[in-house]
Amino acid sequence: MLKEQEITNTIKSKINTTEDFFINTLSSANNRAAVGWFCTYTPEELITAGGFIPVRILGRKKIIKSESYFPINFCPYIKSSWESLLANTGNFKALIFTNSCDGMRRFFDIASRYLDNIPSYLLDVPHLKSKDSVDFFASNISDMKIFIEKLNGKKINEEEIENAVKLINKKRRVLKEYSRIFSKLSHLIYISTYYKVMELSMVSEPGIFIDDLEKYLKFIGEVSTENEISSQSNYKDSPAIMIIGNFIAEEKLWEMLSTMNFKLASDDLCISNRYFEKQVEPDNNTDLLESIAERYLNKPQCMRMADMGSKLAEIENNIVKNNIRGVIFISLKFCDNMLYSFPLLKQKLNEMGVPVLYLEIECNNFSEGQLKTRVQAFLEML
Amino acid sequence: MGIKNRLKTGIQKNLNQKYIKRLLGIIATKPVLYAYGSTFPTISDKYLNIFTIESLKKAYSDNSHPVGYGSLFLPYEMFHALGITPFLPEVMAGFTAGLGLAPQTLKEASSNWYSQDLCTFHRSASGASELDVFPRPDFIITTNLACDAAQKSFYIHSVKYDIEKNFYLIDVPYRYSKESIRYLTAQIKNICMDICSKTGKKFDISMFKEVIDLSNEFRKWAIEVSILRKTLANYPPYYNGLNFILPFHGLAGTREAVILYKQIYKELKKYSSKEKKENSNKNKQVKRILWLHLKPYYRNEIFDILDRENCRVVFEEINHVYWPELDYEKPFESLAKKMLSHFLVGSIDNRINVILKAARDYRADGAILFSHWGCRQSNGGARIIKDSLKKLNIPTLVLDGDCVDQNNSSQGQVKTRLQGFIEILNSEPK
Repeated sequence: MLKEQEITNTIKSKINTTEDFFINTLSSANNRAAVGWFCTYTPEELITAGGFIPVRILGRKKIIKSESYFPINFCPYIKSSWESLLANTGNFKALIFTNSCDGMRRFFDIASRYLDNIPSYLLDVPHLKSKDSVDFFASNISDMKIFIEKLNGKKINEEEIENAVKLINKKRRVLKEYSRIFSKLSHLIYISTYYKVMELSMVSEPGIFIDDLEKYLKFIGEVSTENEISSQSNYKDSPAIMIIGNFIAEEKLWEMLSTMNFKLASDDLCISNRYFEKQVEPDNNTDLLESIAERYLNKPQCMRMADMGSKLAEIENNIVKNNIRGVIFISLKFCDNMLYSFPLLKQKLNEMGVPVLYLEIECNNFSEGQLKTRVQAFLEML
Repeated sequence: MGIKNRLKTGIQKNLNQKYIKRLLGIIATKPVLYAYGSTFPTISDKYLNIFTIESLKKAYSDNSHPVGYGSLFLPYEMFHALGITPFLPEVMAGFTAGLGLAPQTLKEASSNWYSQDLCTFHRSASGASELDVFPRPDFIITTNLACDAAQKSFYIHSVKYDIEKNFYLIDVPYRYSKESIRYLTAQIKNICMDICSKTGKKFDISMFKEVIDLSNEFRKWAIEVSILRKTLANYPPYYNGLNFILPFHGLAGTREAVILYKQIYKELKKYSSKEKKENSNKNKQVKRILWLHLKPYYRNEIFDILDRENCRVVFEEINHVYWPELDYEKPFESLAKKMLSHFLVGSIDNRINVILKAARDYRADGAILFSHWGCRQSNGGARIIKDSLKKLNIPTLVLDGDCVDQNNSSQGQVKTRLQGFIEILNSEPK
């Protein structure tokens, strides 16, 4: 029994040392010109087709200078991202914003005005999902394509878009598989490891990342089979939890949650399912940009979209399907779309008899002790 | 205790729909209404209050008019043409502040999980809705024009009243383009047709034509008022351009809006002639303020302080007539263009252009941006607004506060900051 535990611990340690598996991904960073993006409604396909690496700006800088650009009660992700850009624009050739929310629109204004040497573009994303909205979004993506073409003075042809669609679809497929394996073997893969890899997928050259992730998944599959590690062996008595949030990319939070006794059975986050779910499905009768538009407007939606009813139904399905016993709702502070979603979500969860813990956090300013106590109390209650 | 204070105290003690209906039933009868109207210092103020009360009475009456909740920047011409009585929860939130009801409505919102970081116009309206103070809506129409809050909070109203199928979001694109006009026109048309089919009324283009004619006439007078104001150094007592949000939006396309704006023009014209005759040196000393965003709607000292210090608000950005004349041959497209022309749509540059033009046209000495707590779209642009006005040598005060929640605004701090700003203005050579 002790030996079995030792083997499991050794495997666990290897699996969670991701640096060993993503050497190529990590060493290829900064090799090619990149286009920065912020929101999962940005079609990476067009950036890739234009010959750039799509790199999500994660906002890892402590907010200092950006306080003088934004009000005090403003999205911490935006402030932190602006801080990063003020410090260093690295190999970014351009930035692509979306009109996801009031904050992002003002962020685009600030970047356009105060970031001298990098062009910025704002992609207009509809709030509705009708056929007209898809057509309208396709025409906006076409406009964004022209912006990318101007960056290196080269037209993007149909074949380049087709190849980019295949590549990004493959990335989504592999990430989905990784998510499935994480749910199955979440006693082996830490929550922090899961999200670290998810983040890596958003800042790396897609082809290299896919190769590394496939090798990583192969390793996990082999060691768990060889050692007959059954799924969920350690989680018999742990409650299944769903995390709902916005752009939560707080390493310390994930590390803290990794030490706690619950099974992360489902999530609804900008750095997870909202990013990788749903493929672009090209068909011969539809314009490729329209297929891309259709995918982005119909992927698991952000709270910014108009149809809150279908969002609540999406969450309800996940709760039922994964036998969720409790929901942890984590919002970055001052996110209106998230905050307005809570009254209805709370009402829905009450009807379903699922308790919810409401947490608000800031970027890079994490009060671990307080949050840990609250999560622990919530888990005990379950 | 005066009639206004009695009304205020009465409603504070009896915050429920039954009492409001009863109150409106009494006050909106002609003799009482005109007696109440006579308590106001100007005829335009009297009209403003009478039209507001009449509009509320209609929304609260249980007769055959369908009631439609609408957010602030909608083209209300469509409501009037479709025979829907508009009810504007955000404007009502302003009333909750003015009537001292906000502590009750905000408390209710908090107990229903509305975060305190959200805009109090929406929180207070949501609290009032949860308290069943508002009339039951038949339709809810909202837009993402200006901010995210309305589309979210209005959807919650639709769930409360179980009318999600009658909830419509007008999704306003970011850019003004042919594609945007087409996308928006189709939405407005579809909503109008859907409402007609639900109310069982045939779509009546002649109603649209009539409403659009009235809207154009109101627009003409609103522009006349704006032009006239460029020449004014002073204003009649009690004049506050920030009081006209309801008619500017909610009554666009009605005869009332035409009457009101014509009256405002008359009063200001008369005042202007008087001013010219007197040609007093006093007016030359007046510091001219451009007001950005909204104001607190509860009793506050801001305008008294400005008045005492010889500062006058010479224009408010919200009174800028931003849209072109409507074409009754193309009603839906015209309304789409009206929405797309709003300076809060798209880049901050659209707003900056309006602000800078107003600063020049109205010869502003300084600008005050009232930074309403939780208004990301406006406050997020404060730095750019300040920097842009600085290039014209116009100082800007970003005055932190809350338009609805008195407890979220420190009167002392507001006073100190205002006085500091006035000192700066007085030290600038005229």
